[in-house]
Amino acid sequence: MKAIELLESGEEVHGRAYVKLDAGAVKDAVEKLKEGGFNHFVMLSCVDWLNSNEFELVYHMWSYEHREHVMLSVSLSRDNPSMPSLHDVFPQIGTYEREIHEMYGIDFEGNDDMRPFLLEGWHDMPPMRKDFDSQKFEEEVFDSIPEIEEDDDE
Amino acid sequence: MMRYEEWSRISRKASKKSLWMLHFCTGCGAIELPPVMTSRYDMERFGMGPMATPRQADVLLITGYLTVKTLKRVVQAYEQMQAPKYVISFGSCPINGGMYWDSYNTIKRLDRYLPVDVYIGGCMPRPEGVMNVFLKLMELIDSGEARGWEKYQKYYEQYKRNQQRAFNFERGENEGD
Amino acid sequence: MNEYELFIGPQHPGVTGNMMYHLWVDGDTVTKAECNVGYLHRGFEKLMESRGWMQNVPLVCRICVPEPDVNEMAYSMAVEELMGWEVPERASYLRVIVLELARIAAHLMSIGSYGGSLGIYTIPQWSLGDRDYLLDIFEQITGARVYHIYIWPGGVRWDMPDDLPKLIEKTLSYIEKRLELYDDVFFKNRIFFDRAVDIGRIPRDKAIEWGVTGPNLRACGQGYDVRKLEPYAVYEEMDFEIVKYPELGKFDVLSDGGDAYTRMLVRRLEIEQSISIVRQALKKLPAGDHLVKHPNWLKWKAPAGHVYKRVESSKGEYGYFVVSDGSDKPVRIHVRGPSYTHGVNVAETILKGANMADVSQILFSLDVCPPDIER
Repeated sequence: MKAIELLESGEEVHGRAYVKLDAGAVKDAVEKLKEGGFNHFVMLSCVDWLNSNEFELVYHMWSYEHREHVMLSVSLSRDNPSMPSLHDVFPQIGTYEREIHEMYGIDFEGNDDMRPFLLEGWHDMPPMRKDFDSQKFEEEVFDSIPEIEEDDDE
Repeated sequence: MMRYEEWSRISRKASKKSLWMLHFCTGCGAIELPPVMTSRYDMERFGMGPMATPRQADVLLITGYLTVKTLKRVVQAYEQMQAPKYVISFGSCPINGGMYWDSYNTIKRLDRYLPVDVYIGGCMPRPEGVMNVFLKLMELIDSGEARGWEKYQKYYEQYKRNQQRAFNFERGENEGD
Repeated sequence: MNEYELFIGPQHPGVTGNMMYHLWVDGDTVTKAECNVGYLHRGFEKLMESRGWMQNVPLVCRICVPEPDVNEMAYSMAVEELMGWEVPERASYLRVIVLELARIAAHLMSIGSYGGSLGIYTIPQWSLGDRDYLLDIFEQITGARVYHIYIWPGGVRWDMPDDLPKLIEKTLSYIEKRLELYDDVFFKNRIFFDRAVDIGRIPRDKAIEWGVTGPNLRACGQGYDVRKLEPYAVYEEMDFEIVKYPELGKFDVLSDGGDAYTRMLVRRLEIEQSISIVRQALKKLPAGDHLVKHPNWLKWKAPAGHVYKRVESSKGEYGYFVVSDGSDKPVRIHVRGPSYTHGVNVAETILKGANMADVSQILFSLDVCPPDIER
């Protein structure tokens, strides 16, 4: 596959090129792929592997020329995760990094715009992490709000 | 001079035939509202029309679920509307949480935050159901039973306390159910 | 310089849903724009992690409200890839029919809302009324008007009734006749030319880098469509053209492409292509099963893997990234909505320098759908 040729590593998984990289090597890899015809940045995902104590960031890119999709996978530790930002390579990466910072708590160095994207007034732990229990949160916050007590003379 | 009770019986008959609905698509139930407003089901023959500003609207439609961020704006819009004003809630999400019952960002029961006059069930309610509820609201206005705004004024502190607890995501003891 | 801050807020007829744009205006010109979303965030991806593979199907279709079938399709494709199932041929043809009818309905809605944003209120009344006949067909096939839950992993839920092809053909001929009326009233109208030409231009050489996909990209001159690049279902057997600038059929090319005028014409011409695809699919529909034999729904275990599947929706490229570790619940499902790039970065860039009166028109011509952005 062309992406595996360009980066000289990786394997084919379910029809896509899947390449594992270190955090410092991602920016060069993305720029190299961009010059090699992979000019559509699809999205930036984050997977929380609680059992092995790591976050996996996956950068998805697509080439219209070669009709190929590549997934660049980076592994970060769950304690103090941080990653250099790529928002100057493609403009939409800035928005993805902002959302991942809010939902998982990962720091992106070099990206100044880390304002909350989706939630307002949130002060709890980042909600997409696996140790955040959404059902328990919902019971404690929303189910505990009492009904309106009306006077009996209605 | 007429007494207020006699006058309001006549004015309610007139106002039920010309309700203005506030244009606010709060959730996924709003997809069945355009068929009701346009030529197939046509709610204008009952006198209902859309209105852009809350200052001149009569009916607030909560179409589906509400997130906490939207609830803040809905409360502001509701308080800007002038009495008499009515709230209709669509779908099963404002009744008991619906499909998103374990979500961390949606409110589960609307009547703890705003006084609701009529509910529609379904996910989503069909346009015939929506027309039905408009006619039911007109009946309730005519008989004088739709008085949500008076309840909001009377129990204002309780509503505000509930709204603030939701906006701040405060954890409380499980006093509700 | 007097700069005012303006909030085109969540309660506004001029935004395409429940979202907010924070604008800074100098006189009549917008100097800066910021998108503010989160009013519809239900935390779908968190909810999907605590439900089984089959229990997620009713949840998935509620992500994109005007066109729910593309979500079911992309999710089903991802689960089938993980499980290694082969979909029967009849099911693939039925999927193509439902997807193309959903595309026609979504385009009609988008043309109607765009006309409303220009103030020509005849067009929403007509197009939303015509779209309702398509919802009647959906009700006959799937049982529901809006949220179908019809496309399942492994096939489709029920088979099509025998007398339905006649009703579909009748509705499609009706819509074809109506399209000529839309042309007379709207697409050949002087008001449309004066207001839409050269408004909201996306620079043609930057479109791919900014992540623009779908009809917006094809209006910039790049003829890319997922149905031809990575064919899924039975699109390889269908004969259709990709509508792109500057091949606009019987309409005049009045601009350099990438503006609101070209985008709306691309959508108008794609309706005709979709009608032709549905007719071909009905003619070639083979006999056979409509569903693979499923094991017990509550006990599905998908083998471990990372899968990405994409589908061409009426708004752009819809993608699902599904990660499994071999258990009965997904580890991560990440939904890529087309409006994530269109509504946030692209809109913020092209609204700079626009006239206040054109802000609403630009947003509707980009077809921004807020639930895609925030799930």
